[in-house]
Amino acid sequence: MSDLKNPFDSLLDYFDDLLPSEDLEPMANQKASVSKVKSPSVNLKDSAIKTAAKPSVKPLVAHRTSARKSKPIAKPIPEFAEPDAEKKAKLQKLLSSAQPQIVVAPIVNVEVVAPPKTTYVADPHEIQEWVIETATPIVETKPSIETPVVVAAEILGQHLQIPGLEWMPNGLPQWAQSRFDVLLFKVSGLTLAVPLISLGQIQPITDELTPLFGQADWFMGIQPTPQGKIRTVNTAKFVMPERYDESFIKNAKYVVSINGVPWGLAVDSVNQPIRLQPGDVKWRSDRSKRPWLAGTVKEHMCALLDIPMIGQILIDADKNAMKTRL
Amino acid sequence: MANDAVKNKSTDDPVLQWVTFRLDGETYGINVMQVQEVLRYTEIAPVPGAPSYVLGIINLRGNVVTVIDTRHRFNLPSGDITDNTRIVIIETDRHVIGILVDSVAEVVYLRQSEIEMAPNVGNEESAKFIQGVCHKNNELLILIELNKLLTSEEWNELEDV
Repeated sequence: MSDLKNPFDSLLDYFDDLLPSEDLEPMANQKASVSKVKSPSVNLKDSAIKTAAKPSVKPLVAHRTSARKSKPIAKPIPEFAEPDAEKKAKLQKLLSSAQPQIVVAPIVNVEVVAPPKTTYVADPHEIQEWVIETATPIVETKPSIETPVVVAAEILGQHLQIPGLEWMPNGLPQWAQSRFDVLLFKVSGLTLAVPLISLGQIQPITDELTPLFGQADWFMGIQPTPQGKIRTVNTAKFVMPERYDESFIKNAKYVVSINGVPWGLAVDSVNQPIRLQPGDVKWRSDRSKRPWLAGTVKEHMCALLDIPMIGQILIDADKNAMKTRL
Repeated sequence: MANDAVKNKSTDDPVLQWVTFRLDGETYGINVMQVQEVLRYTEIAPVPGAPSYVLGIINLRGNVVTVIDTRHRFNLPSGDITDNTRIVIIETDRHVIGILVDSVAEVVYLRQSEIEMAPNVGNEESAKFIQGVCHKNNELLILIELNKLLTSEEWNELEDV
């Protein structure tokens, strides 16, 4: 009765016999290389390798060792005893080589903190100080990671694009898919409407408005405000240069800044905001000629400006835009 | 450690001195290190055949100095000579020249971080003279990069003058 083998043990012996010793070597090498991965700079990819390797090693070793323990008597031919012992030794070796990596696995989560020490940081000295002075470096390193992103954009000369530019297949801009609020203002007698969502602030034009030489004629100057310097556009000259009246410079009282860009439109007066339905506007289908004009509102006898597009035009017109930190 | 932090801050954000002058109602600034001296207006001898931006030459203690018409260079309308008119003698990479200004105001201290990039939306070459802008004492300073005031060809032209 004792000579009868457990079917599971028989199956294991069968596979052991089928598995030549050469096949074990690569496996051992692989495990050795995996165990070498235990370095301070663990990343998520490494941890994935380890966790993937873990189940493939552990069950194999566990089953085989338990099988060996139950069968020392069940070896009828002494010649086969020695190879089994060798394999046992190899498996034991594998088992011992697999141990460290199983121990290392929980550390992976701890070392995820390492990414703040990436090469994106502009000034290593500052980071060193932050590490010393603060207990939570992750919070502190956030601004330092953001800054180099801007610098990288400057270096690469990436094209700046402001949101809300897209026009949808239904022929309406992204910001006018449902009802929207617009602000009405006057420029040289013409009533213009701009979507409120694209506006920043309204500031009075003061004596501090400073023109710069060598600029386009539609550039009025830089208006310092408590919220920053607004590059002010001569809206009358920008929108209708053919009907431009020089008196606009004297009459312009406010600058309406565009959200997200350091530019603003000079206006004579600001009226109350109104709510429009997309159907209230006669939308332009061909915007190749005046891309800043979204459409007209017959009810209010005004032109609706595509402010995101104006912002984009202004950014594109500025040769120094890539070097400017917004 | 605190001293190191202050030192790092000062090197990262240096304080620069700028000589400010007025021109057509606006205030401009030039790096004080490039200013040799400021002269009261003296007679400027015109030079026949000189470029349009050259007003003429003056005798500065035995040395001939070319004076540039700054208003012309900046595409500003020409102005009158007054008691406040000054000739600022500046030193660039290669030359010593004078620039005619409406008046000289003061020397201001600006941190590098206070200087903002100015827009450049024109096709005029003169826009590149502007190094940046800075809001100081309730007015906007336009900072001028003197080394770009003339092109290399124009500097060569000055040598002929």
